[in-house]
Amino acid sequence: MKRVVSLLFLAALAVLLLYVVANMPPMGDPQSPTRTHVVPKYLEDAQEETHAPNVITGIILNYRGYDTMGEVTVIFCALAGVLAVLGREKRGRIYAYADRSRVKSSTIVKTMVRFTVPFIILFSVYTILHGEISPGGGFQGGAIIGASMIIFTTVFGLYESSQRIPQKLRLPLEGSAVLTFFTVGVLGMVGGGNFLTYAWPHIAVSLQPAVVVWLTILVEIGIGLGGAMVFISILFSMIREGEEVAVVP
Amino acid sequence: MRLFHNYHYVAAMLLFCIGLYTVIVRRNIIKKLIGLNIMETAVFFFYISLGYMDNGIAPIRVGGAQPGQMVNPIPQALILTGIVVAVSVTALALSLVILLYRQYGTLDVDHLMRQEEDEGEGEKGKGAEG
Repeated sequence: MKRVVSLLFLAALAVLLLYVVANMPPMGDPQSPTRTHVVPKYLEDAQEETHAPNVITGIILNYRGYDTMGEVTVIFCALAGVLAVLGREKRGRIYAYADRSRVKSSTIVKTMVRFTVPFIILFSVYTILHGEISPGGGFQGGAIIGASMIIFTTVFGLYESSQRIPQKLRLPLEGSAVLTFFTVGVLGMVGGGNFLTYAWPHIAVSLQPAVVVWLTILVEIGIGLGGAMVFISILFSMIREGEEVAVVP
Repeated sequence: MRLFHNYHYVAAMLLFCIGLYTVIVRRNIIKKLIGLNIMETAVFFFYISLGYMDNGIAPIRVGGAQPGQMVNPIPQALILTGIVVAVSVTALALSLVILLYRQYGTLDVDHLMRQEEDEGEGEKGKGAEG
């Protein structure tokens, strides 16, 4: 009964949505309304104004800097929520987990993971540092580091991976995204502009491009490190320490 | 016909409906979360399709790329934000699910609601006795 009612509701919704889609401008049209207002200005002026050849990086970190700062705060708050709900992993419990883990990974899997993880991390560093001239950036690189640690943790267990990235290291770096953003914003104010002004008005015009580029890279590194550490901390606090094996009904 | 030309949008709408169906009908909370993620993916797909342009190139000004040929960069920037927020929401929701499972030992919504009712009635009963 519930299924029939929900299917009817969804059919009505689908008809409505398809009706709207049928009246939208054709996809891929260069003259469509999505391309006519602010987009040409971004595409034309972004490189001169933000000194980042990748227009998307320019938009994210420069034009929409406040938005990205809020986003960085959102992932930090998500980490705070997860830690408030589940608690951080504890040293004693991790040792217990290492002793008790029953499923052993095969040698092939272990060797392959040990072989590939350094390259994944290398790729993520490339993604972070080249975020302004090629596809990539802080969030993507951080997510790649987090993914590499997820592979490592699923194969080697929580004990091994928390030896590699100990709590002492993660704790100060988790907030680095927010902190870097805030520092760069305040530096913009010190340099004579508004909050999050990358091109400081008080310095010589010839120096401005270099300052903008280095500040952008600094923010990217901060976001990448902070995002990676947030993902890893969420992963570690979510892992159940083995004593009750989940029985799914 | 416009619908056939805008097949990306149609696919996004259908994906959205599939996700909503999963959220409504499935009883397992984790499957509901998967449905929520499918809905998010549908929205992202719709936005990125909005920025598509025929024979467009990536909006990176390297090697003499012409701005007129580039695809729309704004949806991509917005969706980058959206993906990160979606990840945060999923992480928080999953941690709440873990807590629910530890507390009640089930992920079935109907079971959870029934246990909630039982507990509520039990407390009421206690109140009446006291």
